[in-house]
Formats: sequence, structure tokens, C-alpha cells
Amino acid sequence: MKETVKPSDMAKPSECLCHIEPGDLSPLPPPYEDFNEKAIPPLNPEKVKHIETSLDDTVAIGIPKPANREEEEELVRRFLSGLKKLFEKENNWTFLQPLLLSMEHCTKCQTCSDACPVYEMSGKKDIHRPMFRAEVLRRIYNKYLKPGGKITAKLTGDIDLNWTTIARLAELSYRCTLCRRCATVCPIGVDNGLINHEIRKLFSQEMGIAPKEIHEKGTSQQLRVGSSTGMNPLAAKDSVDFIQEEMEEITGWKVDIPWDVEGADILLLHNAGEMLAWPENVGAFAIIFQAAGLSWTLSSETVGYDAVNYGLWYDDVQFSRVAVRHAEIARRLKVKKIVMGECGHAHKALTVIADRLLTGDLNIPRESAMVTLEKIVLGGKLKFDPRRNDFPVTLHDPCNFVRAMGIVEPQRRILRKIAPRFREMTPHGVDNYCCGGGSGFAIMSPYNFEAWRNLVSSRKKFLQILNAFQGEPAEIPKYVCAPCSNCKGAIRDIINFYHAEERSRIYYGGLVELIVNAMADMKKPLIQFGDDPSWKA
Amino acid sequence: MGFYLLSYLCILVFFLAAGCHVYRQWTLPMHVRWELYPVQHEVSGKLVHGGSYMEDWNWWEKEQRSSFLNELKYMVPEILFIRGLWKENRKLWWVSFPFHFGLYLMIATFGLLVLHAFSVLPGGAPPAGGALRTLLSGMTVLTGWVGLILGVTGSAGMFFRRLIDPELRDYSSFVDYFNIVFIFLFFLFAFLACLFTDPLLEGAKAYTFGLLTGGDSLNAYAPAQTFLGGGTIVFASLLVAYVPLTHMSHMFMKYFFYHNVKWDDAPNRRGGPVEAAVLKNLALKPTWKAKHVEADGRKSWQEIASSAPKEMK
Repeated sequence: MKETVKPSDMAKPSECLCHIEPGDLSPLPPPYEDFNEKAIPPLNPEKVKHIETSLDDTVAIGIPKPANREEEEELVRRFLSGLKKLFEKENNWTFLQPLLLSMEHCTKCQTCSDACPVYEMSGKKDIHRPMFRAEVLRRIYNKYLKPGGKITAKLTGDIDLNWTTIARLAELSYRCTLCRRCATVCPIGVDNGLINHEIRKLFSQEMGIAPKEIHEKGTSQQLRVGSSTGMNPLAAKDSVDFIQEEMEEITGWKVDIPWDVEGADILLLHNAGEMLAWPENVGAFAIIFQAAGLSWTLSSETVGYDAVNYGLWYDDVQFSRVAVRHAEIARRLKVKKIVMGECGHAHKALTVIADRLLTGDLNIPRESAMVTLEKIVLGGKLKFDPRRNDFPVTLHDPCNFVRAMGIVEPQRRILRKIAPRFREMTPHGVDNYCCGGGSGFAIMSPYNFEAWRNLVSSRKKFLQILNAFQGEPAEIPKYVCAPCSNCKGAIRDIINFYHAEERSRIYYGGLVELIVNAMADMKKPLIQFGDDPSWKA
Repeated sequence: MGFYLLSYLCILVFFLAAGCHVYRQWTLPMHVRWELYPVQHEVSGKLVHGGSYMEDWNWWEKEQRSSFLNELKYMVPEILFIRGLWKENRKLWWVSFPFHFGLYLMIATFGLLVLHAFSVLPGGAPPAGGALRTLLSGMTVLTGWVGLILGVTGSAGMFFRRLIDPELRDYSSFVDYFNIVFIFLFFLFAFLACLFTDPLLEGAKAYTFGLLTGGDSLNAYAPAQTFLGGGTIVFASLLVAYVPLTHMSHMFMKYFFYHNVKWDDAPNRRGGPVEAAVLKNLALKPTWKAKHVEADGRKSWQEIASSAPKEMK
């Protein structure tokens, strides 16, 4: 029988509030049944003895255990001070109205639960209900910050506040990918994803608690060195030099990637992770822009060659700093517009969220690469031979493109033109499922978190991919088009984790690679399936 | 007169509380964009797939178009028939729809009663006949009875659904049950009052007339003279006051959810009203305590966003 966990249980001491047993997770079809009995590998007791692990089977942040009771009490005080600030316009004008609305009007109808892939795939564990963490925060707020809250809590929903509650809540805020699928189905409009985002902010902005990959190695490193990858401007330029050589060798096409061209029409912002993990993506963009005769440039200024803005997931201050840097660089280069490369969260960060941060000449127009590419591909200037992409292709919709920006069709119109065997996932577009790597998960792998991601948060996406290719022979290579670096990272990891390349010949890549692969005057294919070229030269 | 005083007081509380809610929403600072697609005021060509104006090349050079008709096409079935719940949570819809529609019909009934009262005001007496009054009376009986039947079954259904479904029960507090029971008691009293003493809602007409005239009687029958009639007035009045004090205010606050958050896709154009609001926000001075924020209550958001913190230099 399923064990029920209630919000008030967050305060009760136990070693593990929510444990996933082998067999609890949603089943996978053949030939992946052997994964159905897999459990999350146990944490190494030696490695976690000084950190908080009492929420579930994994650890995302690794919060140090307080040394004594006084330290615990001080942390509780700081939490309450941060919680108060979430409801003050001086501190949280950025999200105050949406937060207030969502905090005050949830009817606990649970409609959101069935929309959440993490909840569904976890075997419907209570702590993964979208409203669970929101309800914990709501109860703490009502009880400890509202007048008379300690009395009314008995009637409206009680919870005790201690260090255990707080440590678990911090960890729990990193079990949601912020895909906001829950918010789309709420009959009222309550956004539990937003409340989760605000919980993360409270911990970061008041208590300095955030996952290392997102803060220390993420935004901090990006602002200090230039990129969350750790690449400084010189290293970025070296990488791009290497990409130019590689692309010429692979495709026979001479690529010339421009740097710091003042007055160019377009500043192209790539996720710098592409330069290291998927250099062909950066090369393919260059080939397309070059062939289309666009006036464009990359920036070698610190921060200017890395589109990522991890602040979007956890910290408005860090978010603002990175967004302002991006805009300042574009202003100095005097470009007409910024085009966001294949990176979903960077799209949303600079195009939508920063739209109400950038003013005057910092407010430089921003456009999605999906739109720029559609203009090129459907414009007729480039010739394509779609037969070169004669393999099954499906499209993963990054949540930040579709639900957060309404950029749904441009990428599809491209695929319909260049990929004759394109098929949709179910559901897709604004109803899509997250890759499981959203909100920073794709770059987080502390302790056993990567296993949790592959087994739980990315599981729904893996099922969707398998369903999209249902009926295709196992030996036929198949391509998952994921036009987002974080999504690509998560999909790469599930393909490796479930041995999907060996068992089903499933490969992945971006959209620009498919475009270049189908260009009629390309001498050699860009896409390889293992050692096999995708078409014969 | 005591009943009337109670009703006046409760109506006053309703307007004060609802007014506070609305005023607070209007005076909150403009937040960052957090829209969620599909945005229902998009033009049809985009709405069909949940697209936005950002799908267009150089979208900022074009005039932003929106469709009020598309918004209505979504909002009307959503408000009246709770379409979202029908699509996403069918088992709850079967009790939630009659519950909500019953309440809507009660509001409609009250509106009709007010109209009826206005129609008889000039003479101050209850003259029989008149096509308008006959129509209003007929409609009042129809909306009243259908609303009461839906309301009683819907609120009872909501209560039992919350009680027997562990998904709902485990997250329900005393107040959640109290709210439903409260509404159920209103529906039950009103239903029984109509059934046993006032099938044509003559008493309701008389009481509404009295509300508008400070207690003048429309006819000899006064609902407050019966236990069921009096109970109905008390529950209805208290409910009117209670709704805006609870999360049930989503009844009207839903407007802000949709228009100020989910569908707020207004771009920031140089020199425009959005930019003016942003500049105001950027002058605010945060006090977040984490070291990397470097807020001291004197530096503005603009200053903080334009500087790299010491730990990063």
C-alpha cells in the first residue's frame, strides 16, 4: 500500500521522508523492462554524513548540517526573514503579483498532479505533487508571518517550522523542473511552478543556499570568467577556431566565424556548452548564416559568448546581472538584434523575462533562432535535398520555447521542409513534456542526482521518444531533434543511461545540424549515426 | 429589521473586502513577464497552435494584434462551464460544475429579483401583471429552482468527493470542509424554504424589495417569519460577506490570474508605459541578505544589476 506523506510531515524527523522502491516507477516497454526494477543507487554514507539528506533518495544541493541548535535557530530566523521579503515590493517586485495570486487561491483540487511528469513517473509520490511544496510554503507563511497565524493554522492547515522543514523544502525545490505544465492545467490559474521558483529564490537571495553547479560554477563563474563552462574569452576563441577546422574537415565547407564585428545586423548568442559538447551545432549555425549571406557576429567579451543565464532558475539578482551584461555587449557592438541560439532557457531569460528589466538603449530587439532559421530555410535562397534526411525524426519541444514564449511552429515548418519522415511526439507543442533536465537539472550531477534525473524526471520524455518511434525497426537510425542545449544534455544522458543507441538506434542532435545535413550543396553529411554517415556522398 | 441590517452589513463587507483585493492588485508593481501559452487573445492563426507574436521575423517592427473575440471564446465556456476542469479533471467536474453553476444561477436570481424590485418601485406596491414583471417572475422561478437543485447536489457532491477521495482528503483542512458545508447549508435552507413555503419565490421578491427600500414590505409574506426563510437570509448574507475573505474569492480574482499574469504578453517598447513602470521598479532598494546580492537597502535594483559583486571580481 502506498505510504501517504502530508505537508506537515516535512517537520517530523526521519531518515528519509520519501523512498522510491524498485518497481515503484512507471514501467518502461520492451526492450527496456530490465530498467523497471532499477532503483536509485544509495547515497554513499561517508560522502553525505555532513549534509542534509532526509528528504528522499537523492541530494541536489548538499546543505551542510548545522553545527548546533543555535545555528539551526539562526537559519530558521533567516528563512522567515527571507520569506517575508518575498512579499515585499522592494525585494520582489519581479514576481510579487503572480506569487500573491498563487499563494492565496489554491483550492487543492489536485488537477495539477496528473499534469506533472515527475509526480507521475515517481510512482505518484506525494512529495512530487506540484502543490505539495507550495502548500508547505503557504502553511509556513500563514502560520508564522500572518497575524494570528498560530491560532488559525489549526483550522487552515498546520505545520511546524524547524530546521528539518527548511532543509527538506530547500531540497524539494530542486525536484521540480519548473516546466509549468501544472500551471497550464490549473482551472484557476495557480502556478505551483512559480511558487517553487520563489522558494529557490528565498534560499539563494537570503540564505546563500543554491546548488553549486548553478550558482558557484554557474552565474558566479559566468560573471567572473565569462562562461559557466569555465571558458574565458581566449578559450572560447580557441574552441571556435577548432570548430571551423572540424567543420571544414567533416563537411568540406569552409567556415568563417566572425568575432566582434561592430555594426553587424545580428549578435548570435550561443550556449557556450555547445562549443565544448556539440561543436557541430556552432559550426552548423555558421554554415547556414554564411550561406544565407547574413551580417552577423559572435562576441568575445566576457559573458558575451555564453547565452546561458542560470539566474532564471533561482536568483533574480544574478539573473539581472547576466541579462544586463548581455544587453550591454550588444549595445557596444551596435547590432540591430540579438539572435538566441539553440538554448531554451536563454531564450526565455533574455527575450521574455528581461523584457521588463532592460530599458532605453539596452532594450535591443531579441529574436529566436527558430524564427531566423525559418526565414532562411523557407526563404528559398538556400537549396535543400530532403532525401538526405531520410530517417525518422521527432521533435522535442523545449518548455521555454513553447509554453513560455509561444514559439511553436517555425521549427516545425523547417522540419516539414527538410525531414520527410518527421513525426510528432504525443503530446507536443505547448502541451509537451519537459526533457527532465529543466531548471538546471541537466547540468547538475552531485552525489546520485544524475541517476534520479534519468530514472525519474527524464523518464516521461524517454517514454515519449520511444512512442514517437514505435513501429520503426530497431536497426533503423532515428533522430531526436532537440533545439536546446540543456534538453540535448538531458536527452543525451537518457539515451546513454537506457542504452537506447544500442537497443533502438536512437540518436539526438539540434535543428541546425538537420538543416545543414539537407543542404543541396553540402559535399559530405554532417550527421553521423555512430560510424555510419547519414547519407552517401 | 434585524435581517435587513445583517444583509446590509454583509453586503458592505463584501464590497470592502473585494475592493481591497482589487485595489491591492491594481497597485502592485508591474512584475516581469510570466505569460503562459496559449495566450488566448492571440490572433486565430497563432492561437490554433499556441503561438505568439514572437514567431514572426522582426516582430518588433510590426503592430501587435490581438483578438478580444478569441479571448471571449475561451473565457465564456471557462467561466460558465469550467471547461478546463472538464478537460483535465473530469471526475471533479461532475460535482464542481453543478456547484459553480448553481452559484452563478443564485447570482442571476438575485439580479432578477433586484430588477423585479425596481420594476415595482415607482408605485411602492405590488401591482399584479405587466409583461415585464411576469417575465422577470418566470425567469426568477426558473433560475432559482435550477440553481438550488444544482447547488444542493453540487455542494453535497463536493463535500463527499473531498471526504472520500484520499487525494483531496489528505490536503484538506477544517476550513476547506467548513466552506463547503457553509455553502451547502445555504443551498439546503433556500431549497427547503422554496419547497415548503415559497415555491414561486414571492418571499425572495419581498425581501429584495425590502433591501432596496430600507425594509418596506412588498406583500404580507415575509420570509423571515419562517425558520427556513430566516435561515436562508442569514446564510445567504453571511456567505456574501465570507466569500471575498477566503480563497473562494477566485470567483473574481481569476481575472487577474489571466489578464495580469498568464496572458500578460505586452512587450516593453522604448518610451512606452511598460518602460516607465520598469524604471520605477529599478529604483526600488532591496535588502536581501545573501552575500553575493550585496544589497544594503541603499543601492537600487538598477545599481545592483549593473555591477558584479565583489566575490566575482
